[in-house]
Amino acid sequence: MTWSGEIDRVHIGATKQEGGTRSRVCTVGGAKNLPFLEGASEMPLIALEICDDTGSWSPIVLAYTGDVTRDAGEWAKKAEKEFGADLVRLHLTSTRKRGFSDVRGVRTTIEAVLQGTGLPLIIEGSNEPSVDSEVFSACGEAAAGERALLGTAEADRYRSVAAAAVAFGHGVIAQSPIDINLAKQLNILLHEIGMPHDRIVIDPFTGALGYGFEYSYSVMERIRTAALKGDTDLAMPMISAAADSLNIKEVREAPQEVRDETAVMWEFCAAFSAAVAGAEIVCVRHPRTLEKLKKGFAHLAGEG
Amino acid sequence: MALKALDIYKILPKKNCKECGFPTCLAFAMKIASGKADPATCPYLDEETRQKLGAATRPPIRLVRIGVGPRKVVVGEETVLFRHDKTFYHPPGLMVEIPDTWSPGQVKVVAAQIENEMFTRVGQDLFLSGVAIRNVSGAADTFQKTVAAIEEMVSLPEILISDHPEVLEAGLIECGTYRPLLCAATDANYTSFCRLATKFGCPLTVRAGSVEGLANLTTKCVQEGVEDLVMDPAATTPREFLALSTQIRKAAIERTVPAVGYPVYCDTTTYPDPDAACALGVLKYGSLIVTRPLEYSRKLAFLTLRQNIYTDPQKPIQMAPGLYPVNSPGRESPLLITVNFSLTYFTVLGYLEGAKIPCHLLVVDTEGLSVLTAVAAGKLNETLVRESLKKFGAEEAVSHRTLVLPGYAAPISGRVEEMTGWKVMVGPRDAADLPEFLEKEMG
Ligand code: SF4
Repeated sequence: MTWSGEIDRVHIGATKQEGGTRSRVCTVGGAKNLPFLEGASEMPLIALEICDDTGSWSPIVLAYTGDVTRDAGEWAKKAEKEFGADLVRLHLTSTRKRGFSDVRGVRTTIEAVLQGTGLPLIIEGSNEPSVDSEVFSACGEAAAGERALLGTAEADRYRSVAAAAVAFGHGVIAQSPIDINLAKQLNILLHEIGMPHDRIVIDPFTGALGYGFEYSYSVMERIRTAALKGDTDLAMPMISAAADSLNIKEVREAPQEVRDETAVMWEFCAAFSAAVAGAEIVCVRHPRTLEKLKKGFAHLAGEG
Repeated sequence: MALKALDIYKILPKKNCKECGFPTCLAFAMKIASGKADPATCPYLDEETRQKLGAATRPPIRLVRIGVGPRKVVVGEETVLFRHDKTFYHPPGLMVEIPDTWSPGQVKVVAAQIENEMFTRVGQDLFLSGVAIRNVSGAADTFQKTVAAIEEMVSLPEILISDHPEVLEAGLIECGTYRPLLCAATDANYTSFCRLATKFGCPLTVRAGSVEGLANLTTKCVQEGVEDLVMDPAATTPREFLALSTQIRKAAIERTVPAVGYPVYCDTTTYPDPDAACALGVLKYGSLIVTRPLEYSRKLAFLTLRQNIYTDPQKPIQMAPGLYPVNSPGRESPLLITVNFSLTYFTVLGYLEGAKIPCHLLVVDTEGLSVLTAVAAGKLNETLVRESLKKFGAEEAVSHRTLVLPGYAAPISGRVEEMTGWKVMVGPRDAADLPEFLEKEMG
C-alpha cells in the first residue's frame, strides 16, 4: 500500500551530550505505512509501568515483582536490568491521595528513578486539577534536560502539563476519550500554546480486552490511516496502555493457579493488537507480558 | 467492480422466456445486480457471459461452510479492510490441532473439552470452533482411526490435514458426509484433491506462497468443479502472513484479483511464536486458525479478542440504564452515578467489586457516551440525574440522600444539588481511585 503521509518522529530521552543523563534514548515515529508492512519495520517500544504508591496497583504484579515495588528507584532499575524494558513509565500515584501536598516527595521519587535507570522516562503526574500546576512543574523541573514524556494532557486540562513540558523541554502525552476528532482538536490546542508536533504523542485511550478494547483498536486504525492519508494534525506516534487489564473480572477471578498467566495474556492481547493497529509505544505492568511482547514483536518486525 | 442492472441486461439473451423464474430478462438483471439471483439459473448463457456475470456479481470473498449443524463454521463474505469501514462479519474458526499420533485417551479429553467448554461474555456464548486432525503418523489407517474416534464422540467441524489424498480418503470414509475441510492441495497434486472434494462434497484448502500462486491454483480448482475453497498463503513468519493476508484481502475486495476471493487459512503451529500468530490471525484476516490446544488463559483471551474484533463497530455498546446493586449493598450504602457507556460501566464496576465495597450504582442513559463527552455534549445534566433517581427507585433503595457524581461531572454538581435536593459529592476522575475515595469520604 502506498500513502502520502508520514508519522512525525518524537525523540524521548537525552544523553549526556544532549544535556541529560540517559544511557539510552529512543525515537518513535517515521512510519510511512501501516505497522509491520513494507517500509514499517520499526519495533514498537515497550514501557514498563511503575508507581510511587502501590495502593491501587494490581496485587498480581506486586506479588510477581517483589520487594522492589516499595522503592520506585529500585523498581525502575529492575525494569531495565532484569525485565528488559525500553522505557519506564512512572505513575505518581501518591499525588492521587486526597489532600496531597508532598511535592518535595515527588521530586525525590523522580530523582531516584533517574538514578535507578538509564532508560528514557515517561512521567504521569497528578490527576487532580487543584494540584496539577504544582505537580507538573515539579515533574518537569526534576527531570529537566532529560527529554521525558509528561502525561497526561486532556481537552479540559492540558495547560499545566504543557507549560511544564515547554518550560523544561519535555514531550507530552495527549489523551482523548476514544474519539478521532477530539484527538485532533487536542493536538491543535497543544500546538497553539507552543507544543511542536514532534513533541506530542497521542494516547487514544485503551480499554481492556473485552471491556471496550474494540473501540480503541479501531480508533487507533482510524487515526493512523488518517495520518498516512496526509492529516498532519494526527500524524504523531501513538501510545497505548490498557491500564485496567489487571482489574477486570476475568483476571481477578481466574483460578489461583492460572491467574498470573491470565493477567499476562490479557495485557499481551491488548498491547500486541494495539501495536498492530499503529501504537508505537505500548505500556504494560506485568514483567512477563513485556518478555512475551518482545518475542512477538521481533517475529512481526522480521527480526526473528 | 460490480455491474449495474443495465450492464447485466445488455449481455443477457433477451429471450424473456421466464425460465429463470423471473418475468423478463430485465427483471432478472435487476435481481442479479442486487445480489438476489444467481446468473447460473438462466440456461441460455454462453460460458463467457456466465463467467463475466459470476465474477462481477458474487460477493468479493466467497462464503464457505465447514461442518454441519449448529456448530458449523461459516467464514468469508467480508467486504472491508478495516472494521471501522463497516464491520467484519464472520468470526474466524479457531480449530484445535489433534495429531493422529495421540493416544485415544488424549484425543478424547481434548475433543470433549472443545465441544463442551464454553464462556459467556456480554450475553454471547464463546467456544472454540472445531478440530484440525493432522496426519503425523504417515499411515492411512492410523489417521482413519483417529477420525473415527473423534466422530464417535463429538459433532464438531473438522479440518483433515495430510499431503496424501489416500490418507484423506481414509479419513473421509468416517466423516465425509459432514463437510470437513480438506487441507491442502498444491500445484502438484490439486487434481487428486479436487476429485476427493467433488466426491464427498467438501470444501478444499489450496496452498501457495504468493497472491499469483493462489490465484492460479483457485482458478484451476474451479475449473475442476470445486468452488468452496480456502487459501493457505503458507507464510513462514507472522510478518509474511500479515503481508500476504493484507494483499489478499485488498485484491479480493477491490476485485483486482477476483481469483483470491476466498477465506484465508492460518496455521499457527508452524510459527515460532504461536500466541502472536493467533492474535495476528484474528486481527488480520485469518478465517480458519489452527492452534495447538489452548489452556484456560489463552482460550479465554483469544475468544475475547475474537469477540471484540468481530463486534459491529457502528453499534455503541450500551448498558441498560438502571439501579445496580454492587457487593450486596444495604440501605445505608453509598449511591454512585455513572453513564451507560459499557466501557465506563464495566471499569467502574471492576474497581468496586475488586475493593468489595457495597454500593448502589445508578447507570443513567447518556446514549452510550462517556462521562467526559456526555457532560460536554450536555447529555449528562441535572434533569437526567433527577429523572433517573425517580425512575429507577433510588429514593426507596437508600435511606440517605447523598449521591456521588463522577469526577468529570464536577461542572454540573451545583445544579444537580439544586434540582434534586440530594447532597452531591464529586468523586475521582479515575475509577481506580474510587475505592480509596469511598473509604475516606463515606467510610
Ligand atoms: S431465462 Fe434467461 S433468457 Fe429467459 S428470461 Fe430469464 S434471463 Fe431471459
